[in-house]
Amino acid sequence: MVIAENTKAPPRPAPVPPRRRWRPWGADGVTGWALVTPAVVLIGIFGLLPVLMSLQLSFQHSDLLTPETPWVGFDNYRKMADDPVFLEAIKHTIIYTALFVPGTMLVGLLVAAAMNRSVRFISVYRTAAYITMAVSTISQGIIFLWLTDRDYGLVNAALNGVGVPSQPFLASPSQAIYVIVAMTIWGWTGFSVIVYLAALQGVPAELHEAAAIDGAKPFTRFRTITVPLLGPANLFLLVWLTINALQLFDEVYATTRGGPLRATTVIVYYLWDQAFVHFDAGYAAAMAYALFVVILLVTAVQFRLARRYAHHP
Amino acid sequence: MIRHRLCLALAAVLTLVLAGCGGGGSSSSGPTEIAVWHGYQDTEGEVFKGLIDQYNKAHPDVKVKELYSSNDLVLQKVLTAVRGGSAPDVAYMFGSWSPNIAQIPQVVDMAPVVKNADWQWDDFYPAERQAATVGDKVVGVPALVDNLAIVYNKKLFADAGIAPPNPNWTWDDFRSAAAKLTDPSKGQYGWLIPADGSEDTVWHYIPMLWEAGGDILSPDNKKAVFNSEAGVKALTVLQQMAVNDKSLYLDTTNENGPKLMNSGKVGMLVTGPWDLSQLPDIDYDVQVMPTFAGSSGGHQTIAGPDNWVVFNNGDKKKQAAIDFVKWLSAPEQVKAFSLGTGDLPIRESVGNDQAVLNELNQKVPGTAAFVQNLNNVKKVRPTVEQYPDISEALGQAIVAVMLGKEQPAAALNTAAQTADAKLAEK
Amino acid sequence: MTVDVAGSRWRLPFSPWHLVLIPLSFLLVVPLLWMLITSLETEGEANHFPPVLFPAKPRFANYTEAWAQAPFGHFFLNSLTVTVVVLVSNLVVCSLAGYAFARIRFLGRGTLFVVLMATLMVPFQVTMIPVFLIVKWFGVNVWEGLGIDHIGALMLPNLATAFGIFFLRQFFQTVPVELEEAARVDGTSRLGVLFKIVLPLSLPAMSTLAALTVLTSWNDFLWPLIVITSEDQMTVPLGLSYFQGAHHVQWPLLMAANVMSLLPMLLVFIGAQRYFVQSVASTGIKG
Repeated sequence: MVIAENTKAPPRPAPVPPRRRWRPWGADGVTGWALVTPAVVLIGIFGLLPVLMSLQLSFQHSDLLTPETPWVGFDNYRKMADDPVFLEAIKHTIIYTALFVPGTMLVGLLVAAAMNRSVRFISVYRTAAYITMAVSTISQGIIFLWLTDRDYGLVNAALNGVGVPSQPFLASPSQAIYVIVAMTIWGWTGFSVIVYLAALQGVPAELHEAAAIDGAKPFTRFRTITVPLLGPANLFLLVWLTINALQLFDEVYATTRGGPLRATTVIVYYLWDQAFVHFDAGYAAAMAYALFVVILLVTAVQFRLARRYAHHP
Repeated sequence: MIRHRLCLALAAVLTLVLAGCGGGGSSSSGPTEIAVWHGYQDTEGEVFKGLIDQYNKAHPDVKVKELYSSNDLVLQKVLTAVRGGSAPDVAYMFGSWSPNIAQIPQVVDMAPVVKNADWQWDDFYPAERQAATVGDKVVGVPALVDNLAIVYNKKLFADAGIAPPNPNWTWDDFRSAAAKLTDPSKGQYGWLIPADGSEDTVWHYIPMLWEAGGDILSPDNKKAVFNSEAGVKALTVLQQMAVNDKSLYLDTTNENGPKLMNSGKVGMLVTGPWDLSQLPDIDYDVQVMPTFAGSSGGHQTIAGPDNWVVFNNGDKKKQAAIDFVKWLSAPEQVKAFSLGTGDLPIRESVGNDQAVLNELNQKVPGTAAFVQNLNNVKKVRPTVEQYPDISEALGQAIVAVMLGKEQPAAALNTAAQTADAKLAEK
Repeated sequence: MTVDVAGSRWRLPFSPWHLVLIPLSFLLVVPLLWMLITSLETEGEANHFPPVLFPAKPRFANYTEAWAQAPFGHFFLNSLTVTVVVLVSNLVVCSLAGYAFARIRFLGRGTLFVVLMATLMVPFQVTMIPVFLIVKWFGVNVWEGLGIDHIGALMLPNLATAFGIFFLRQFFQTVPVELEEAARVDGTSRLGVLFKIVLPLSLPAMSTLAALTVLTSWNDFLWPLIVITSEDQMTVPLGLSYFQGAHHVQWPLLMAANVMSLLPMLLVFIGAQRYFVQSVASTGIKG
């Protein structure tokens, strides 16, 4: 089978026999199920079952101390609606997610594009990106706490140098959440870069060469050829980063512990606090479920939008 | 060929899983094994393991196995283990968790046990006994005691030309000294306080509240009374120093205190004996906290006792665990542990022993002052299960005032309302 | 090499991209540098704020001391075992499932995918107790090596994740479907297509997933913390917590241990580097 060489359009497929009508219960359907069975069994037992057991917990009163866990129906959920701290936590989580996700994708894409070439030492740069993910959040927290310290931090030293007064950053109720955004973008860039690199590798070089021969500038080529073909990677990052952002915990635990004055209290931090500091695990489970529903809806919307704007099989 | 590789991979998985199984079945005969979970590391860890070895040798029918688990995280571990039916036999737990731990059915009530004369229960400092007692139950045996006092940098005082703290100081004296020690151009502050709003922050405020004549809760533990005049007076001192004088550095990380102190950037720290060994680069001394002029409270400080909690895993293990804890907290071992680690002795008989004090002071100067300060522990934090909620409300109020966002009276009133609501719930 | 910059030609001894990549990489690597510096300081130097950036004399003894404080050799072995098993399992199970979701239309595919993704949406802090109970059941009823306080318990809940399936599904979708269809016409089975066509073209994706899986598994802390209660079953992150006391963190030793624990991951990544680059011959044009 020969695929016609072409300068502009993607190669056209040779004629294939007409597709049969889709029969999900046919041999293909069975194969499909056979292939997913190992995953379904493993994730079913260790992923789904705990999720369902936690759902049960959300309808109970549990302090993790006494074995009795009386059924309280929707009480935990009602408590959420009346809890001003929970409502604040929602607000903080939304602000955080709205800034973190696009930020990390953009920075990751730019850095990956810069790294996607065969210069010497490229593997060193890529390793640098990867190894940043291996640094624990505790270390990241320490460094950012120091860098942004009002009296002794480098950032303020630099700001003072250009005449801007020292900022409290993580010690300020109004600035803290934004510093956490910056810190987590920094921490996740490595991940974003690695994913984009893998995707960029899949962009056939011939397409770029062909377009270059036609006179297209590098940035135009990037915009019209590369970016669209990054569709699946974009969707993956969008969904995965959102899921993680909405469940932010480690970085808050390592720096501000939800403060100052709750400015960085996000949903998962608050529910962990309720479960293990205030001994109200049922309430924590209810909050986790409310969050779960939101994440599910957001993810579903993202998938739908992707389908509408992409042209992938 | 790839299918072949797949088979190899699966075989490898299986082999590794099989090979990876370690540790094994315990036999029902042989020495009784008990698991002790603790957070001792470094010197403390070495001394503790030494004590365990000593006990194991002397008691061949028992095998004590210790497991290190960071104190901050041990609660999650214990709760999960209890839930899952795999509780340890003994665990080191913060005293502030006592009222909640008391509700775990598997926790052994030590009250009938420690009544026996050979435990010398009254030899433990009163604060420790109170922190281990919830209602009628005694949830644990004292493991550690400490308290708060002023640790100050002698050189910074000399450079600023101020007399160092003395027992007759009032909070006004403290405030003016801190102001004189503060030099923004050098990034130098008079005082530092942990300001993340957690119990760490709150327990710095509480002795001030007590000294001003106030209390946290009413005697029946049903109502919050920290928003009294005394409470406002104490919180105002913090406000004046943080907001007006700017002599109080607010450490939101809770970790930089000893570091800044050691770097010569802070004149005074109100902290416990654990920080003394972190100050190798400065010349420091220890003094009791100041008093409020005209208040009946006098000198007071707060203690943070922690406990060994025993879990019931069957009669044999339970008895072995109780015996071990009894040995561990006997005066002889208390003395050995204290001298070996520099931690304060948990028994008054040991704490009043001048020879011990001298030796402690030689190893880590200032320790003796902390031991003597234990006599200023007159009150303890209420052992009610809502304490975490009360602490949180108070913590937020204190931080809000120190950040200049609220006034003391209003902040304390809001916190009191929250606390009252929580107390009424149960 | 010559570079076309805005129409004119420059001659540089190196690619101008280095001017961008070096500062960028430096920024990314700052935490690691700080870890290295701290790992060579004395306790006194580490007890300073602002931190001491240039230790008076690099204290390499921190590394040997950290190693001696706990049986790290054993911890490394445990971590290695767990990580290898989890890695192989994920690569195998997730590529099978990922391919099915990417290319095969079977009944209930959409719903199943959503259900699997749902397991990513509930925080571990909430599910950890149920997982503990389930794993304990396995240890009691199936095989002790899989239960509480054994490294099998560290492997079991992680043998397959929806993350891996989602990731591979996305990347498998970028493989030109024409190639697969051509092979199917030739009579190759679905499994054959997966192994002969899709996987070879997905090496960057597979090696990326491998790198990420190794990372997550090696650094897992919370789950081992609650499930392991014997020192001989501990993994490296638990060993690191030995240096973090309630009142006092032994920074130099902690950082030294941290650096040592990074090395295996670094080696894995460097080894996997050559698979990140798609070979030119396999971009889809075949005769």
